Amino acid sequence: MPNIRVLRDIKARELVRANEVARRAYLYVARNQALPPQVRHQAQLQLNTFGRYTRPTTVKNRCHETGRGRGIMSEFGLCRFQFRLKALKGELPGVQKASW
Amino acid sequence: MVAPARIAALTRLRCSIFQTSYNPTSVRTGAKYLRARLRGPSMAQYYPAALNLSQLAREFPELEIVDPDEEQRIQDVEDKKKRGKGAPKKAKSKADSRRATRKK
Repeated sequence: MPNIRVLRDIKARELVRANEVARRAYLYVARNQALPPQVRHQAQLQLNTFGRYTRPTTVKNRCHETGRGRGIMSEFGLCRFQFRLKALKGELPGVQKASW
Repeated sequence: MVAPARIAALTRLRCSIFQTSYNPTSVRTGAKYLRARLRGPSMAQYYPAALNLSQLAREFPELEIVDPDEEQRIQDVEDKKKRGKGAPKKAKSKADSRRATRKK
């Protein structure tokens, strides 16, 4: 069972995906300097009504195994310690302990 | 020396040939928000899909799936109640509330 932070992150990812097209449309209107300022302002106000977890910046890559939020190796989606454990067990293809 | 009007005409022609938009004053059009690829679909599949027993049990009640973790939790709650360590009764009025007896 993933911990609450991972569950929250999963929720955020789903909401980002669901609202992405609408948000992009409003962003286009709000950032378009060719449009009248009133329209742009209305679009910005609409953008502000979206929930907290619909912004892509709230999404954080967490460890697949432990849910840790720091020290993630994005290539494997694991935190540094889980990466080490799995690599030593030989569960990560192509990863080898350095020795020279 | 080439007249600025000539250079502008040249730029406009170049834009029409290479199908780019003619924007001499660099006005922000917001096009980059439409041009960028959607990131949601790849974001949503970051975590590997995990089997959720309680969700399965809720979806298919006819299978009568037993979630051992949930069983254990209910058992623990029962045990605590027997030892008098259960959750307190819901207060009927404001005066019954445990908050009222709390030290200020």
